[in-house]
Amino acid sequence: MRGANSAKWVAGAIVIALAATACGGSDDDSSSSSGKGSGKAGGTFRLGITEPVAIDPYNSQESEGILVTDNLFTGLYEPTADGKVIPALATSKEVSADGKTWTFKIKPGTKFSNGEAVDAEAFIRGWNRVVQKTAASDVAYHLAGIAGFEDVQAGKAPTMSGLSAPDANTLQVKLSAPDFEFYVKTTHTVFSPVPKVAGDAKNKTYNDAPIGNGPFKMQGTWQHNTSITLVRNDGYGLTKAKLDEVKISILNSNNGVTLEYQGFEAGTFDWARMPTPQLPAAKAKYDAQGEWIDENTNGMNYLLPITDNGPLKDKKAREAISYAIDRDAIIKGVFQGMQTKSTTILPPAFASVYQKDLCQSCIKSDPAKAKQLAKEAGLTPGTTLELGYNTGAGHEEWIQAVKQQVEKVLGVKVKATGKPFAELLADQQKAGATGMYRFAWGADYPTPDNFLYPLLDTASINKDASGKVTGDNRGRYSNPAFDALLAKARATEAEAGRNDLYKQAEKLAMDDMALIPLWNRTQLRLANTKKFADIKMDFHEDPNLAEISMK
Amino acid sequence: MGRYVVRRLGQLVVVVLGATMILFACLFVLPGDPVGQIAGSDKARDPAVIAQLHKQYGLDDPLIVQYGNYVGKLVQGDLGQDYTQSRPVSEILGPKLANTAKLAVAAIVLDIIIGISVGVLAAMRRYSIWDVSATFITTLAIGVPSIVLGMIMQRVFVIELGWFPLIADDSFNSLVLPAVTLAIIDAALVAQLARSTMLEVLGADYVKTAVAKGLPRRTVLSRHILRNSVIPVITYLGISFGGLLGGAIITETIFNWNGIGLALIQAIQQNNNPVIVGVVTISVAVFVVLNLVVDLLYAALDPRIRLA
Repeated sequence: MRGANSAKWVAGAIVIALAATACGGSDDDSSSSSGKGSGKAGGTFRLGITEPVAIDPYNSQESEGILVTDNLFTGLYEPTADGKVIPALATSKEVSADGKTWTFKIKPGTKFSNGEAVDAEAFIRGWNRVVQKTAASDVAYHLAGIAGFEDVQAGKAPTMSGLSAPDANTLQVKLSAPDFEFYVKTTHTVFSPVPKVAGDAKNKTYNDAPIGNGPFKMQGTWQHNTSITLVRNDGYGLTKAKLDEVKISILNSNNGVTLEYQGFEAGTFDWARMPTPQLPAAKAKYDAQGEWIDENTNGMNYLLPITDNGPLKDKKAREAISYAIDRDAIIKGVFQGMQTKSTTILPPAFASVYQKDLCQSCIKSDPAKAKQLAKEAGLTPGTTLELGYNTGAGHEEWIQAVKQQVEKVLGVKVKATGKPFAELLADQQKAGATGMYRFAWGADYPTPDNFLYPLLDTASINKDASGKVTGDNRGRYSNPAFDALLAKARATEAEAGRNDLYKQAEKLAMDDMALIPLWNRTQLRLANTKKFADIKMDFHEDPNLAEISMK
Repeated sequence: MGRYVVRRLGQLVVVVLGATMILFACLFVLPGDPVGQIAGSDKARDPAVIAQLHKQYGLDDPLIVQYGNYVGKLVQGDLGQDYTQSRPVSEILGPKLANTAKLAVAAIVLDIIIGISVGVLAAMRRYSIWDVSATFITTLAIGVPSIVLGMIMQRVFVIELGWFPLIADDSFNSLVLPAVTLAIIDAALVAQLARSTMLEVLGADYVKTAVAKGLPRRTVLSRHILRNSVIPVITYLGISFGGLLGGAIITETIFNWNGIGLALIQAIQQNNNPVIVGVVTISVAVFVVLNLVVDLLYAALDPRIRLA
C-alpha cells in the first residue's frame, strides 16, 4: 500500500505541474490610475505573496522578500520605478577623484523602532553582518567592492577595513577599485542599517521579526507559510506612511497567482497578479474601472546565444535568428497582446539611457534577410540548433513558436529541450555549450551597468579550471572594445557622460547581437483604486506601501 | 498481544529506515546542485556562497557518510535543515503535520458518517429509490476528480457566495471545503463497500439464525450485522487515512492549506531534499502505525482473530 501511496503523490505532482505551467507568465500594457489624491491616513492593505527566502536584509533577495524588507528598513538611497536614484537617509554624498573613497552624510536623529539611533555605526554593523562567511548570504556579493570584503568572506577579519565612521553621522567607504556608481548600489536592501539587537546573521529571532528603521514595523513575527503583518512605524524618520496596517497572506507557489486573482475578485486582496489565461477577461473587467496597472519594469527577456562555440558563433547567424523570429505574431498569439516587443538590451524602465529600436532585426521579422544572413554565416539548412528552456514556468508555448518560425524560415532543425531551472543553468555553464537558451535578467539596482557588466563583460565569463562558466556572462560574449567602453563608463563621475558611454557600449553589443532581445518584462497587476489612492508599482514590482493612502 | 505490538513496532523501524535509504539514494544522485540556484531571474549563485552552503549541509561528503549522518540525527528526532531558509525541517513540518492531520481527521470523520450511513441505508432498502440514487451519486463522486470538485466549490462558495474564507485561517469555516473535497471520493467508496458487505452479511446463515431465534431487529442489526460488515470498511479507512495524510496535495494546493502535502510538492520543485525526505519519513511512519492500529482493531471487533 506504500506503493499506492507514493503513486498517488506522483499523480498529484503531475497534476500540479500541469496546473503550474498555466500560470507563471506575465505581461502587458495600460497604465496606472490614481493621481495625487487627498490621501487620508488609515486602512489595512491586504495582499498575497509566496513564502520569501528571507525578510532579514542579510539575505532578502526576491520580489516577495524585498517587499517586506524594503518597508521595514530605510537605507542611504532608494530606487524609483523609472530607474532613478533618490536620497533616503543620505543627506549628501562625496566621491574622491580616484573614485575609491565615498563619504556619505547621514540624516541625524532618526531611530530604529526599538529606539536605537540610526547612525554611521548602524550601517557599518549591518554591512559587516552580511559579509560574514557563516552568513552564507546570497546577496553579499553586492558589497564585494568594499575594501576588506575578501578578508571577511575568508574568515580572516571580523569587519571590513574599508568602512569607518569619522563621526556619528558620517559614513566613509573605501573601495578596492574605482566605482563612481557605488551610491546606486546602496539602494539594495542588503545595504540596510541594523540595530545592535540584530546580532549575527544566524540570529533566528531577528531573522523572523527584524527590527528596522523603515516606514513600517513588524507586528508579531513571520508566521511561516501563513502570514506577515506590518503596522505603520509612527517614529519613522522620513515621510511617514499613511496605511495603518499591511496584511500579507503567504500563498503556496503552485496556486498563488490564481489565489491572488480570486482574492481580488472576492474582495480579500487589494493587490493581485493574474494567471495568464485570465488576463483578457481581467483586463476587460478591471481596466475600465481603473483597477488595472501595467508597467514595463527593469527586467528583459532574451534568447541567450552561445557566442564562442557552435552554430551561433558568427554574429550574422545570430542576426539571422533574430530576423527569423516574428515577435509580433508570438505576442499576439501566445501572450494575447499582453507583452511588448523589445528592441534593446537595456530595459525601457531605464528611461535616461533607453535607445528604442537599437536592434534593427527586432523591429520586424524579415525571412529574406534572415536567409541571406544565415547563408553568409554558414548556418545551412539541416544544421541542428539547441534551444534550452526551463520547464514549469510557462515558457513552453512561445518556445515552440520560436522553434517553428526559425525552422520554417531557415530550414534548420531546432532541438528544443525543457529542463528544470537548476539543470538549465548547469547546461548554460558547462564547457562546450552551444546553440541558444531562454534567458531573462532583472536589475538589482537602477544602472545600465547592472545589465551590461554581468551579462556581457569578458570578466563576467569567469571560467573555472574545467571550463565551466561561473559568471553570469553565459553567452561568453567577449569584445575588448566593449570592455573598454564599460571600464571608461565606470570611471566617469558625471552621470550624463557615464550614461553616454553606456549607450555606446550597448550599441556595440547590439551590433554584435550578443543577446537576442525578445520582449520587455511587462508586469500586470490589479489594484484596489476604489478604496486606496496613490497606488503604484515600485522598482521591485511591489506596491508602494509607504505612499498608499485611503480615498 | 504485547509481543505482537513490539514486533510490529520493530518492523516500523526497519520500514522507515528502508524508505529513507531508498529516497536518499534517489534524491541525492539526481542531477542539479540543490543549492546551486537562486530565486528570481536567471542569476547564478555566487560560487563562494555555494561552497559555504555545501559545507554547512555536508554535501561534499560521500553519499554513505551523508546518509549515516542523517540517520544518526533522525534517531534523535532531528530531520536536518532545509536548503532555502536554513530552518530545521522538524520546525517547518511540525505545524504543517498538525494542519494536515486536522484536515485528514475531519475528512475521515466525514467518510465514516456519510459513507457508513449511506451504505447501510442503501443495503437495508435494497433496490429502493434510495439505493439506486445512492449508487448513482457515489459512482459519480468517485468519477469526478477532486481537483475539479475543489475548484468548483471554491468558485461557487468562496468567490461568488462568499460563505467561506479564501485563505485558510484557524476557523472551522475554512476547514469545511477542503475536508469535503478530500473526503468525497473516499466517502463514496466507503458507502459502496459498506453496502456490499452489508448485503453479504444480511444473507449469512448466522443472521438468519439470529432472526429465526426471535432476536429483536435492533439487536440483530447492531450485534451481528453491523459488527461483521464493518471489518472490511475499517481496513479500508485505516489505509485511506494514511493515504489522506500524504495525498492531500491537490486539496491543500487549491485551498492554500498549509500542510505537508503542500510542503512536499514545493520541496520537490525546489530540490529541497531534506524536506522531501522528512515528509516521506513521517508519512511512512504514520502509515505503518495506522496499519498496526487497524490490525489491533480487528482483534477487538472479531474474536476469531488472534494476534500473536
